[in-house]
Amino acid sequence: MKNQRSLRDFSIGIALLAICGFFAIASPQFLSPRNITMLMIELSITATLALGMFLIILPGHIDLSVGSGVGLIGGIASVLVFHHHWPAPAAMAFGLVLGVLVWFLMGRLVIKQKMPAFIITLGGLLIFKGLFWLVIQSTTVPIVEGGKSNLYSLLTTYYLPRSLGYLLAFLGVLALVLVKLRARWRQKKYGFSGESGEMLFLKLFIAAQLIFLFVLVMSQFRGIPLVVVILAAATLAVTALTEHTPFGRYLYAIGGNEEAAVISGIPVQKTVITTFAIMGAVVAVTGFMQTAYSGASTTTVGDLMELDAIAACVIGGTSLKGGRGSAMGVLFGALIMATLLNGMTLLAVSPEFKYIIRGVVLALAVWMDVRLAR
Amino acid sequence: MSTVASTEHFNTPAVLPVLRAQNITKKFGGVTALNGVSFDLRPGEIHALCGENGAGKSTLIKLLSGIHPHGSYEGELFVNEKTIALRGVADAEKSGIAVIYQELALVPEMSVAENIFLGAEPTRFGFIDWDEVYSQTQVCLERFNLKVKPTVKISHLGIGQRQLLEIIKALRKNSKILILDEPTAALTETEVAVLLETLRDLRGHGVSCIYISHKLDEVFGIADRVTVLRDGQSIITARASEITKQAVIRHMVGREIQDLFPRKAPIRGKPLMRVVGLTVADEQTGDVILKNISFEVHAGEVLGLGGLMGAGRTELLMHLFGAWGKRLKGEVEINGQLIKSEDPRAMIKRGLVLVSEDRRRYGLFFEKTVGFNLSLSTISRFRRHLFVDASYELDVNQKLFASLRVKATGLESPVAGLSGGNQQKGVLGKALMTEPAIILLDEPTRGIDVGAKQEVYEIMNQLTHAGKAVVLASSELPELIGMSERILMMRDGAITKEFYRVQASPESLMAAALGHTNEAAV
Repeated sequence: MKNQRSLRDFSIGIALLAICGFFAIASPQFLSPRNITMLMIELSITATLALGMFLIILPGHIDLSVGSGVGLIGGIASVLVFHHHWPAPAAMAFGLVLGVLVWFLMGRLVIKQKMPAFIITLGGLLIFKGLFWLVIQSTTVPIVEGGKSNLYSLLTTYYLPRSLGYLLAFLGVLALVLVKLRARWRQKKYGFSGESGEMLFLKLFIAAQLIFLFVLVMSQFRGIPLVVVILAAATLAVTALTEHTPFGRYLYAIGGNEEAAVISGIPVQKTVITTFAIMGAVVAVTGFMQTAYSGASTTTVGDLMELDAIAACVIGGTSLKGGRGSAMGVLFGALIMATLLNGMTLLAVSPEFKYIIRGVVLALAVWMDVRLAR
Repeated sequence: MSTVASTEHFNTPAVLPVLRAQNITKKFGGVTALNGVSFDLRPGEIHALCGENGAGKSTLIKLLSGIHPHGSYEGELFVNEKTIALRGVADAEKSGIAVIYQELALVPEMSVAENIFLGAEPTRFGFIDWDEVYSQTQVCLERFNLKVKPTVKISHLGIGQRQLLEIIKALRKNSKILILDEPTAALTETEVAVLLETLRDLRGHGVSCIYISHKLDEVFGIADRVTVLRDGQSIITARASEITKQAVIRHMVGREIQDLFPRKAPIRGKPLMRVVGLTVADEQTGDVILKNISFEVHAGEVLGLGGLMGAGRTELLMHLFGAWGKRLKGEVEINGQLIKSEDPRAMIKRGLVLVSEDRRRYGLFFEKTVGFNLSLSTISRFRRHLFVDASYELDVNQKLFASLRVKATGLESPVAGLSGGNQQKGVLGKALMTEPAIILLDEPTRGIDVGAKQEVYEIMNQLTHAGKAVVLASSELPELIGMSERILMMRDGAITKEFYRVQASPESLMAAALGHTNEAAV
C-alpha cells in the first residue's frame, strides 16, 4: 500500500517528464529560454485559477462560472480604464472587490439556500458571459490608452530585472531553510525525531538547485515574468492555507465527510462561503492576467478556462468528491495541461486535434489515478 | 480458551448440510474476528446464531454472503458439500444465499413491485413488462398474506412490511438459504408473529434459515438448533430442545455479569443540564418526534437512555447537540443558563459533546489519519499566529492516543483500517479533546469487542469521577443497568418511566420500552 501510494505521487511527475521529453525531441525550440518563458506565463495564468478551483473542490463543491468571470472582471477593468479613464490600479481594485463580493454572494446562495454549486455556478457561467458582452458591447476594448503602458498591461509584459530575480531566488531559498530548521527545532522541543539531518539537507539542496536553475533559464531570455511571481505567491498562500491552518483542515474534513464535520463542530457554512469569496479574488486576478495577455478584452477571453482549471485539479490528484488533493499536485496538473498546449502549438497541431488530445490526456490521467489508488 | 466440541453435528448422517463453514479464521489487521469457527446448516432448518455484539456473528454472515470475499479469510465454505469460493454478493446469490439486513436494502422512492423485481425486470421486446411485474408481485404478496398494493412506494410502508418484502425479494431469486440479521429489532409484536409464521412456513418448503437475534424468547420459539459464538469462537452448537436459555446466556457471556460493567459511581454533584417539556419536530417532514421530554443530568452521573429502535433516543441526543430537529416547545438549561437551539459548534463551546451511534456517517473521516481525526474538533487550539503548530498538535495527539490505548501502528494510519473498537476510541478521543462537561454517548459500544467495551466503560468512570456528566443511550439493557445510576426509558418519542439502578431489571425496562403498564406482561 505504501509503495503504491508513492507510485501514485510520482506518476504525475513521470508523466510530465515524458511529455517534456517528447516535445524536446520533436521540436528544438521547446527548451529554448524564450519558449520556456512563454510557457511559464501561460502556466501562471491557468494555474492561479486552478489553485482557486482547488479550494472550491476540496470541500466538495465546484465552480463552473470562473471562465466567464475571468472575462467579465477583466472586461470591466478594461472598460473603466479605456472608456472612463480610470487609473489602472483603481480599476483593478474595483474589479477585485467586485469579484470577492459576487463570489461571496454565490457562496451564500449555495450554502444558505442549499442549492448545488453546480447549478448556481452554471447559472453564473451564462449570466456572467451575457454581462461581459454587454459591458464590452461585444467589441474589443484595449486595456491601456494608445501605446502607453499601465499596471494592467504590465502584468504580463513586465519582467523582473535579473539581479532582482536572483535576489528573490536567494531570499526564497533562505526562507525555505529557515522554515524547515524552525520546524525541526520545534520537533526536538517536543522530543520527536523528524527526518534525518542528511535527508533534510538533501531535500533543501535539491529544491535550491531547482530554484536557481529556473532563474538561470529565465534570465537567458528577459528575466522572471511578473505573473510567475504572482503564481509563486498564490501557490505559497494556498499551500500554507490548506496544510498549515485550521481553515485548511476544515476544507479537507468537509470534503471528506460533511455530516461528521458538522458534528465535529466545524463551521461548515462559514468555511465554504469563505472559499467562494477567495475564489472571487482569484478570478479577478486571473481575469486581469488573461485579459492583459490577450492585449485587450474581447468576447472570447476566459472561454473554457473553468474546464482547464478543473482538469488541472483532477490531473493533479484532487478528488471531485472532495477531501483529497494538494496544491503542489494542482500545480503539476496545470503544468501538464500548459505544456501539452504549448508543445502542440510549437508542432503546429491543428486546433481540432489540440482539443481532442487534451481531452484524451485528461481521461487518461484520471484512469491512471483510479488504477493506482486500488 | 477451550472450545466445547460441537458433538451434535452429524448424528443424523443421512442429511447433508446445505451450507457448511469449516474452520474459518478471519482477521482485521491485528484483530482476530473469527477464530477457527465451524458451522453447518441443514435443509429445512432454522439455525439460530447467538452471541454478544462483537462475538463475530456479523463477520461470519459477511463471509457467507460474499462481502468478505474468498481469500480474505482462512478455512472453507461448502454449499451442498461442494467447495465454493464467493468473490462477491452476486456469487452468494447465485449459490442461493440471501441476506436480509437490519438496515434494509430497498429503494424508498420506488414501488413495492419495482423493488421486488429490481435488477431482474421481466421484459418484452426490450421494454419492462409492467403487467407481468404487477401480476407476479400480487401473487407473491398474497402468498405471504401481505396486504399492500404493488404500486405503493416503499417509503409509505412500515419496517415490518419492508422486512417481509425483503424476504419475498430474496425468495423470488430462488434463494434456498436465508440469513436474517436481527430481523425483529424494530418490529411490533404482531409483525414479529407474522414474520416467525412466515419463516416456519418456508421451513416446510425446504428453505433453510440462519436466524440472528438477541431475543432469546424468539430464538427458542423458532429455532431447531442454536450455535453460540463468543470472542470469535464457536462455543457450542445444540438442539434448541436440549439446551436452556440460561445455558445459552452463560455461553454467550462466558463470565459473571458483574465483571462486565465496572461502574464505580462517585457522589452525585449539582445538576449540569436540565431539560423541561422538550417537544421537537423533524425539520423535513414536520412530524413531531420528541414529545414533552423533561429530565436532569447531574455532575458525576451516568444517565441511561433506553428504548426500542425508533423510540427517539438518537433524535433526543442529536437535538440537544443542535444537530437535528426544530424545537417547538420546551427549555434546555446548561449550568443554569438557558440555551436556545444552536448548532454543534456552539454547543461544543458550551461544554456539550456528542459521540454518535453512526461512526461512519457522523463520527470519522475514514480516509484521513488517526491524528487528523483526533485533533479536528479542537484544531484552532493548536494555532500559533496564523498556522497550526504541527509539533504541538502531534505531542497532544500522541498523549491522547496512548491514554486511549488505540491499537494502530500510529497516528499516521488511516482510520479506515482500524477495527470497530479502535475507531470508536478515535471518535471518543476527538470528543474528549473538546474538554466537555457533558458527554452524550449514543450506543458507544455497538459492534465493538468485549475488551474495547471495558475500556469505554473505564473512560466513562474517569469522566464522571472528574465531575462530568454522561448521558448513555443504549439498546443493550444489561449495559444500561450495569453502567447508569438512573435510566430513562423512551417509547414513541416520550419518556415512559424513570428507574433507579436498584429498581431496574431487564424485564421491567423492556416493559417500559414496549409501553406495558403492567410489568408482568413481558
